[in-house]
Amino acid sequence: MVAASAPGALLSIRDVSKAFPGVKALDRVSLDVSGGVVHGIVGENGAGKSTLMKILSGVYEKDSGEIVFDGKVIEKTTPVQSMHMGLAIIYQELNLVNTMSVGENVFLGRFAESGGRSGVHATARKLLDSIGCKVDTHKQVSELSVSDKQMVEIAKALSFDSKLIIMDEPSSSLTDDEMQKLIKIIADLKSKGIAIIYISHKLDEIFGFCDVVTVMRDGRVIDTKPVGELSRNQMIAMMVGRTIENEYPPRPDCAGETILEIKDVHTRKLKDVHLTLRKGEILGLVGLVGSGRTELVRALFGADKVAKKTVLLDGKQVEIHSPKDAIRLGLAMVPEDRKLQGLLLGFSVEHNISLAVLARLSERGFINRKAEAGVSDRQIKALNVKTPSGKTKIRSLSGGNQQKAVLGRWLEMSPRVLVLDEPTRGIDVGAKYEIYLLMKKIVEDGGSIILISSELPEVLHMSNRVNTICDGRINGEFDPAVASADEIMAKAFEFA
Amino acid sequence: MSAATEPAAGRFTPQSALELIKNNPIFVAIALLTVVTSVVEPRFLTTDNFQNIVIQFGNLIFAALGMTFVIMAGFLDLSIGGIISLVAVVTVTMIDKVGQGPAILIGLSVGLGCGLINSALILTAGALTQAESLFITYGMSLVFGAVALMYTQGVTQFLTYSKSDISVFNAINSGSVGPVPVVFLMFVVGLAVLLVIERRMYMGRAVVLTGGNKVAARLAGIPISKSIVMIYAISGLMSAILAVVLVSRATLADPTMGTPWMTPAILAVVVGGTALIGGRGSVLWTVFGTLLLVLLNNCLNLLGVSSYVQFMFRGVILILAIWLDTAKQNAVRK
Repeated sequence: MVAASAPGALLSIRDVSKAFPGVKALDRVSLDVSGGVVHGIVGENGAGKSTLMKILSGVYEKDSGEIVFDGKVIEKTTPVQSMHMGLAIIYQELNLVNTMSVGENVFLGRFAESGGRSGVHATARKLLDSIGCKVDTHKQVSELSVSDKQMVEIAKALSFDSKLIIMDEPSSSLTDDEMQKLIKIIADLKSKGIAIIYISHKLDEIFGFCDVVTVMRDGRVIDTKPVGELSRNQMIAMMVGRTIENEYPPRPDCAGETILEIKDVHTRKLKDVHLTLRKGEILGLVGLVGSGRTELVRALFGADKVAKKTVLLDGKQVEIHSPKDAIRLGLAMVPEDRKLQGLLLGFSVEHNISLAVLARLSERGFINRKAEAGVSDRQIKALNVKTPSGKTKIRSLSGGNQQKAVLGRWLEMSPRVLVLDEPTRGIDVGAKYEIYLLMKKIVEDGGSIILISSELPEVLHMSNRVNTICDGRINGEFDPAVASADEIMAKAFEFA
Repeated sequence: MSAATEPAAGRFTPQSALELIKNNPIFVAIALLTVVTSVVEPRFLTTDNFQNIVIQFGNLIFAALGMTFVIMAGFLDLSIGGIISLVAVVTVTMIDKVGQGPAILIGLSVGLGCGLINSALILTAGALTQAESLFITYGMSLVFGAVALMYTQGVTQFLTYSKSDISVFNAINSGSVGPVPVVFLMFVVGLAVLLVIERRMYMGRAVVLTGGNKVAARLAGIPISKSIVMIYAISGLMSAILAVVLVSRATLADPTMGTPWMTPAILAVVVGGTALIGGRGSVLWTVFGTLLLVLLNNCLNLLGVSSYVQFMFRGVILILAIWLDTAKQNAVRK
């Protein structure tokens, strides 16, 4: 371990640049990270955070500049070498082998020198205990929650005697409870003199437990400052390069009579759920990951087979057996996982946008391609999707613009009910605000929205009504204008 | 993307032609193979050999065209060998019972039916991965082949001994409309129909979208099940057409004659540039993939390379095609 008082920085990055064909991903970036410090890095998507981390871990090679880690100049490295040097990265999409046990994952590829099967499990146990994680080392990783998987990653990092642990958006799929656990572990690692680089979109986390923060934008470091010296608005302004007055637009207020009612939903997860939605309303659905919130909207949309459910639209019972049925009735859903469930990454922006109305654009089986291009251009313009053209592959767009394209797909059919499952996950502040404005416009035009989000402030600011879901049951209803975040969270955690 | 949006596939300008060559090494390979073979082997440029190439191309192309839709949707069809055998024996034995026209129709229906059975099994089993479709259709290949053997008791059926009129088969074998051989005409019509489905029709787009991302496409209301039924129906029907062509050429139907066609059909599609993982490809690309394979085969035959070594060449080409495609995709992603 490096003592916290070691002279100079543990990691020193000097004027590092990296260009990809057509983009300057990093432009003379300099950064110092000291031992025992939690160093936050914030910036919009495309600011260069991930590129910098990938250079550190050896996935990419830098074009110029100097990196000194633990007194050694690093020229060229591979991910394995950097782990052995004591530099560990925990990626957002965790890098574990799902079909192997916890212990085997911690010592992946190092069984022999770790004392064979029994040695691996014993040492893994110790490491996990040291961070207060109780998960059985013989359990298969696929059975773990995201939070426990992160613990395994941290244990793996500790097994290398890491001096620097980089966490890339670790909180994006954690519940508040699990987040508290992670914060405790970070504090613990810090007290051992380990440096943490904490990459996040969530300013609450940066202000909550980071010591120093570096703001990046367009491949450059804008500034590095102790967290105490920055206000929230200053930080946002630095990130987006302009001042954003508010993070949220004013709450829409146009809820009318009930248009949708879901009841008697029974699945393995859901127990007798009853939910109503009014015209022009944004209904927030708050629950932990695994509470049944996603299962509920998927059941409504016909995405999963359900033993029993009753759906009333305008008071009349409707049958929804597939997404196609749901779409025909004017329902739309932006799914939780944008890359896996929302996008067709290898296809053009145009083909991604036209998807939901493609059948309507077809006559006697033939696609009206002019109309298709028209739909795409209209939505690109309306939603301000930043893309060279509709023919560009959607893969090359930033997360925020990809999400806007997915929204455009549904807006074209003017949905009566729009389900948004984590609509702003992994999206930068500017694009988030645009999506909030869009939500407002949808309900003002007479649509209704069911909003699921792990970011409570988002739900509190945007919803007209909040239902909590816990262990497969709707167990509370709140008026977000008057209810406090604590009250709502307490209800969502009720079964514990 | 669908190939329809690529400038290279539509308008031809000198610039787009250059891009086309750069993005499609297959044209370079075809040109190179033609030039080199004509230099080292004078027999390559004879009329006889040209006819030989046309015949080989006219066989493989039918199976390869059908297979293209299957692979574009992210699936595989290993059952075409069994389907070809079954259709061939059924068609030939039916001639004396119902006449040649109806016999061909029955044969085509059997091919279509086999494809529908494949898709029904895949949908019932919920076998939506490529690997699952591979094993199911492999199983069905054995079943179809076994039915062909049981139906004929393993005896080869000769078209030449037919008591009925077999003029249609003769026409397919050697007839021509003006200077154009009948089989070539069949190929052009087949290609045109499939190309229109692929680039202009809703179901064609649905097939490529299925190959691109089944989950996302389904959540956006794209009919995945219908796409699966369609690709296997097309594959079954195209295999049946190949069976009729093969029967006409060989003037016999052997209950195992379909077996050698499965591998080259898949090879032609992949060499043509259609992605094995689905979501990207075109029947037009398959035409060139087939041409390259047939030329290579012909060239190796002329040079007297043993068939054992030829198998190795096939393997190497398949791996090379997949490797090139993966490299291209990785370059796009970075």
